[in-house]
Amino acid sequence: MFDTFRNIRWEYLFDLELAIDSLPFLLQGLQNTMIIALFSMVIALLLGIVIGIARMSKYAVFHLPARLYISFMRGTPLLVFVFILFYGLPVIGIEFNNALVAAIVGVSLNFAGYNAEVVRSAILSVPKGQWEAAATLQMDYFQTLRKIIIPQATRIALPPTFNIFMDVVKGTSLASVITVQELLYSSRLVAGRTYDSMTMYISAALIYWMVCIVIGFFQERLEVRYNRYLSN
Amino acid sequence: MITIERLKKSFDDTPVLKSIDLQVNKGEVVCLVGASGSGKTTLLRCLNLLETPDEGRIKIGDKEVSFGEKPISKKDIKDIRKYSGMVFQGFHLFPHMTLLENITQAPLTAKQQEKDVIMKEAEVLLEKVGLSEHQDKYPDALSGGQQQRAAIARALMMHPEVMLFDEPTSALDPQLVREVLKVIESLAKDGQTMVIVTHEMHFARRIADKAFFMDDGYIVEEGPADQVLANPKEDRTREFLALLEDE
Repeated sequence: MFDTFRNIRWEYLFDLELAIDSLPFLLQGLQNTMIIALFSMVIALLLGIVIGIARMSKYAVFHLPARLYISFMRGTPLLVFVFILFYGLPVIGIEFNNALVAAIVGVSLNFAGYNAEVVRSAILSVPKGQWEAAATLQMDYFQTLRKIIIPQATRIALPPTFNIFMDVVKGTSLASVITVQELLYSSRLVAGRTYDSMTMYISAALIYWMVCIVIGFFQERLEVRYNRYLSN
Repeated sequence: MITIERLKKSFDDTPVLKSIDLQVNKGEVVCLVGASGSGKTTLLRCLNLLETPDEGRIKIGDKEVSFGEKPISKKDIKDIRKYSGMVFQGFHLFPHMTLLENITQAPLTAKQQEKDVIMKEAEVLLEKVGLSEHQDKYPDALSGGQQQRAAIARALMMHPEVMLFDEPTSALDPQLVREVLKVIESLAKDGQTMVIVTHEMHFARRIADKAFFMDDGYIVEEGPADQVLANPKEDRTREFLALLEDE
C-alpha cells in the first residue's frame, strides 16, 4: 500500500508544456463538441417541451407514445443508442452520411426524454388556481399554457434543465467512439502519439469543466431574470 | 340572469349538492352563506363550470346547459364563462406579471377591443380600486388586500354580467378586509349583478338583496338578506348564525 504511494511519479502528473502546445488542436476538437452540444440542447429542449406536454394529455394517442418514448430514452444508455443509430441502422439500409449528424440525433433524442420529465414536473408545480383564474378570464388551453403557465414553469425548470445541458455537453464525448473528432477524440490522438495520457485527459477534463462553468453562468443570469417578480 | 334547477354534484361518492334551485335577477346582489362543507363554494364553481354538475340545468344570460344526459361540450363551457367573472379566496393573480399586465392580459388575448381602449379602461379600473400607483408592481410586492382588489379589477376587465366571489376576504388579515369589502360595495351601488360566498354577515346584510343559507348540500332558507340573516325562520339557519355570533 505505502509502496504504491512511494512509487508515484509526480513529475508525470501534468506536462504543462505539452498541454499548452496541444491546446490549439484540442480547441479544434472542441468545435465539434460545441456543435453537437448546442444543436442537441436546442432540439432536446423543444422536443422535450412537446413530449412533456403530450405526456400530460388526457388523450391516450398523445400520452401513451410520450410515456413510451420517455421510458425508452431514460432506460437505455446513450452509448448503446448511439451505436444503434450509427452501426445498427446501416444494416437495414439507413445510413448517416456524417457521424456528426448521427451524434446530434443520438444525443438530442436521448436527452429529450429527460427534458420532457422536467417540463412535465415544472408545469405540474404551477398552482391549479392559475389555470382556474385563466379559465374564468376566458383564456383557452394553449393561451393559458403560453401566457400564464410556461413563464412560471420556466422559473422552476431552470436548474434541472441546466443540469441536463451540462450532461449534454459531457454526453457529446460519446461521439468519439463513432469517429467524430471532438474534444475527447482529439485528446486521445495526442495521448496516443505522446504516450502522455494523464496530461491529455486532464486537459480534456479541464476544458469540459470550463464549458460547464460558462453554462452555469448563463443559468445564474437566467435565474435572476426569472426570479425578478419575487420579493426577496 | 341566473336560473338553476335541480342541480346535483358529487365528488366521487360524496354528494355535495343535492338538488339546488336558485334564481338571481339582473342587478341583484346575492349572498350564499353556510358552514364549511355545506356546498356553497361548489355551487359557485358550478356557475362557471369550474366544476361540472352531474345533473340539473343552468341558465346564465342567454346560455342554457343541461347536465347528465350527454357530456357538455367545450363550446358550452366557453359560452357559459362569457357571462361571469370570478374572484377567488386565494386571489390567484399571475405572479410573473405586473398589476397592469395582470388585468390587461385576458382582454388583450381575447382581442375584443383595440389595445388603447383596453389600456384606458385598465387605468380607470385601477383608479377605481385604488391601485393606480401600484400598476407596475408585481403581486408579490403587494398586501393581500391590494392583491384582492387587483383580482376584482382583473375580472371586471372582461365586462362580466355576473361577478362571482368565493370568500373574497377569508384569506385576508382582519385590517385588510374592509378595503376589499368597500370595493365590492361600490360595485353593488353600480348595479353589478353579484353572487357572493361570504362569512361576513354584517357586510352581507348591508349590501345583499337576497341571501341563501345552505346546509348539507341543500338551500335550507332563502329570502331578503335582512330577514334570512337577522330573523331566520329555520332552526338550522338560527343555529349557524348563533355560532358565528359566539366567535
